[in-house]
Amino acid sequence: MKLKSLPIQRKLMSIILLTCAVVLFFMCTVYIILENEFYKESFKANMATLGAVIASNSSAALAFDNPEDARDVLGALDAEPNIILAALYRMDGTILATYPADTKASAFPTLTERNLYWYEGKFLHGIEPVMQRNEQLGKLYLQSDLQAMYAQLRRFAIIGMGLIAVALLIAYVLSHLLQGSIADPILNLEQTARSISEKGDYSVRAVKISNDELGALTDAFNQMLSQIQVQNEEILSFNQKLEQKVIERTSELQHQKEFVETIINSSVDLVAVFDTDMKYIMMNKKTMESYENNDTLLGKKLLEVFPQLENSDMHINLQKALQGEHVYLPRYRSKVIPRWFENYFIPLRDVDNNVYGVMTIGHDITSIVESAEKIEKVNAELLKSNRDLEQFAYVASHDLQEPLRKIQTFAQMLSDHTGDPEQAKIYQEKINQSSGRMKQLIQDMLNFSRISNSEEAFVPTDLNDVLENLIIDFELLLREKDAVINYPNLPVIPGIPLQLSQLFSNIINNSLKYTEKKPVITITCDTLTAEDVNTYHKLDKNIPYYKIQFQDNGIGFEPQYSEQIFAIFQRLHGKQSYSGTGIGLALCKKIVENHHGIIYAEGRLNEGATFTIIMPGAESKVI
Amino acid sequence: MGIIFLLYSSSLKAQTFSASEYQIKAVFIYNFSHFVEWPASSFEKSYSPFVIGILGNNPFGPYLQEAIRNERIGSHIMEVRQFNNVREANNCHILYINLQDPEEIKQTLLAVSGRPILTVGDSPNFLRFGGLVRFFTEESKIRLEINNTVAKSRKLQISSKLLRVATVQ
Repeated sequence: MKLKSLPIQRKLMSIILLTCAVVLFFMCTVYIILENEFYKESFKANMATLGAVIASNSSAALAFDNPEDARDVLGALDAEPNIILAALYRMDGTILATYPADTKASAFPTLTERNLYWYEGKFLHGIEPVMQRNEQLGKLYLQSDLQAMYAQLRRFAIIGMGLIAVALLIAYVLSHLLQGSIADPILNLEQTARSISEKGDYSVRAVKISNDELGALTDAFNQMLSQIQVQNEEILSFNQKLEQKVIERTSELQHQKEFVETIINSSVDLVAVFDTDMKYIMMNKKTMESYENNDTLLGKKLLEVFPQLENSDMHINLQKALQGEHVYLPRYRSKVIPRWFENYFIPLRDVDNNVYGVMTIGHDITSIVESAEKIEKVNAELLKSNRDLEQFAYVASHDLQEPLRKIQTFAQMLSDHTGDPEQAKIYQEKINQSSGRMKQLIQDMLNFSRISNSEEAFVPTDLNDVLENLIIDFELLLREKDAVINYPNLPVIPGIPLQLSQLFSNIINNSLKYTEKKPVITITCDTLTAEDVNTYHKLDKNIPYYKIQFQDNGIGFEPQYSEQIFAIFQRLHGKQSYSGTGIGLALCKKIVENHHGIIYAEGRLNEGATFTIIMPGAESKVI
Repeated sequence: MGIIFLLYSSSLKAQTFSASEYQIKAVFIYNFSHFVEWPASSFEKSYSPFVIGILGNNPFGPYLQEAIRNERIGSHIMEVRQFNNVREANNCHILYINLQDPEEIKQTLLAVSGRPILTVGDSPNFLRFGGLVRFFTEESKIRLEINNTVAKSRKLQISSKLLRVATVQ
């Protein structure tokens, strides 16, 4: 276990015991090392002293070459059990006597000139000169066994260990007894602190045990507790006040919120708020009511919910407003619901003036737009009618004057030639013709002007009935011209039956008129595909169309006249070649336009003509 | 001292017993100077020599001269002197008496009695005649016999160590 995480009691104990152990071990080690050195020196000194005494006593034995006496002197070494070998050397290096007496001379070293003591292995060797009055007489060699010394050192080491053990035991007991004075107040403090933090009861106080720093710490701790208790109470009361205030404020805010919501929800305009990701974050009641699935809109992105708005005015202006621009869109036709709006895109800014959202206000102007469109339409009709009247007046003045001038001219001639009844009859005939033609002109003009002012309602009209009735009307003429009309089953379309009959009548009449012999009129009918509808920009993509074609084998016309033939009083040929008032095809055009359709002609000179009518198969919903 | 080692060299061992015997005796005589204390009065002056005298024939050959060459006792240079008459020997410190006639030995010893001279001899009655140190041979080894009582009366202090290796009367 690391020392850091030990409880304080064991920490104290560990510190004390570790300190004691280290100090004691260090001291014992130093002591044993010093003792070893000391013993060695002391052993050496002892041997030197012994050597000096033996050497001194052996001087006479050496001087007078007396081995018996030498052995006697060396025999004194019996008293020193450490000395295991000794010898007296003469000056020439030969041995006079040995100790023990019967040791062989080979057991002894050959001596050098040196006189000294030295350690070698487990032995201490010594050479002492034998002197008598400054005269060297020989040498004494001693060898001591160090076992005794090592035994002594071992004894010291064992005693040292024992002492360490005893000292540690004493240290353990003492520290056990004394640590309480430090650990107890700390443990008491710790227990108190723990109990406070667990129960939150700040009225508890730690018990002061001693008057030292720990006592002061306890006092400071208790004082701190008192302060905390007081502050705690203050905080609690402050909290209560704060809570009360929060409740009041919340209720106020709730009121304000409800007020604002009531206002917003009472608005007749569509109000919605988007965040910077263009997600709906708020919408008022009116907006909710305007959309289907309105309960799933909040939190979703605009394009996620209404993908058709991609790059629409709504989308683009929302992006502009998110850039901080205040956008006003006076007329916007919604792509979600069939309504018109006047839209405001208002950036919402936070305190740092950063845009965090956009409020859109949509004011429903559908009724205004519809009224305006009606006015526009009526206006356009008026303009057209005006234009037609001008043209009509201009043309009428020309074409009506012509038969009138003829009538005048022939009347004059009739009055001049009253004497010639034959001639007068011719003039009368001419006058009749011109007045008849004038009557026809006036009749046609009346028809034409009636169409312009028609207010009749559309009804489902079976074109088969229309065509078959016409064929009956044209029966005589068809037989006379030996003409053939081929036609398929035709559809029922919304329209004014009389006008549609006039339309077919005029086209067939035109074909019969401009065909010299055996006219063949072939009628075909197809429904227009969506792609075909797209090629005619005037058509509404949302409703079906029929394409009805009348092909003849007549004289045709130069392609450059394909537009001109539909203008009123426009004739490509003189009255002499082909009879007609010049109103027929203009009338056709007017009828087709009245039915929201298209008419055009294709043809080549002498190769027949094809008239194509495109008519709605259902009533247009366009307002 | 190195000279003495040379005397023990193998070439010399081949010499006669007497040569070897006196060779040893010469060394012993020299060694006596280390184990005996002479009174200060035995030297006239501080630089007076320490004299080893020989009365009678010199049996040592060169050995005694060799043994003492360049040796000193304190400030006193050692000398060997040959005496023919006991009267000449009054001022010596060690006197080796090599006389054959016992009566003559007796007279000589009597003549030097009262003086601090260490008298040394070989004759069997040498100590009885008043001599101090006698050489004798035992088990082919040269031994010493000393009359310490007389030595004390002559104010010569003989070291107990010397006494221990000798037979004391």
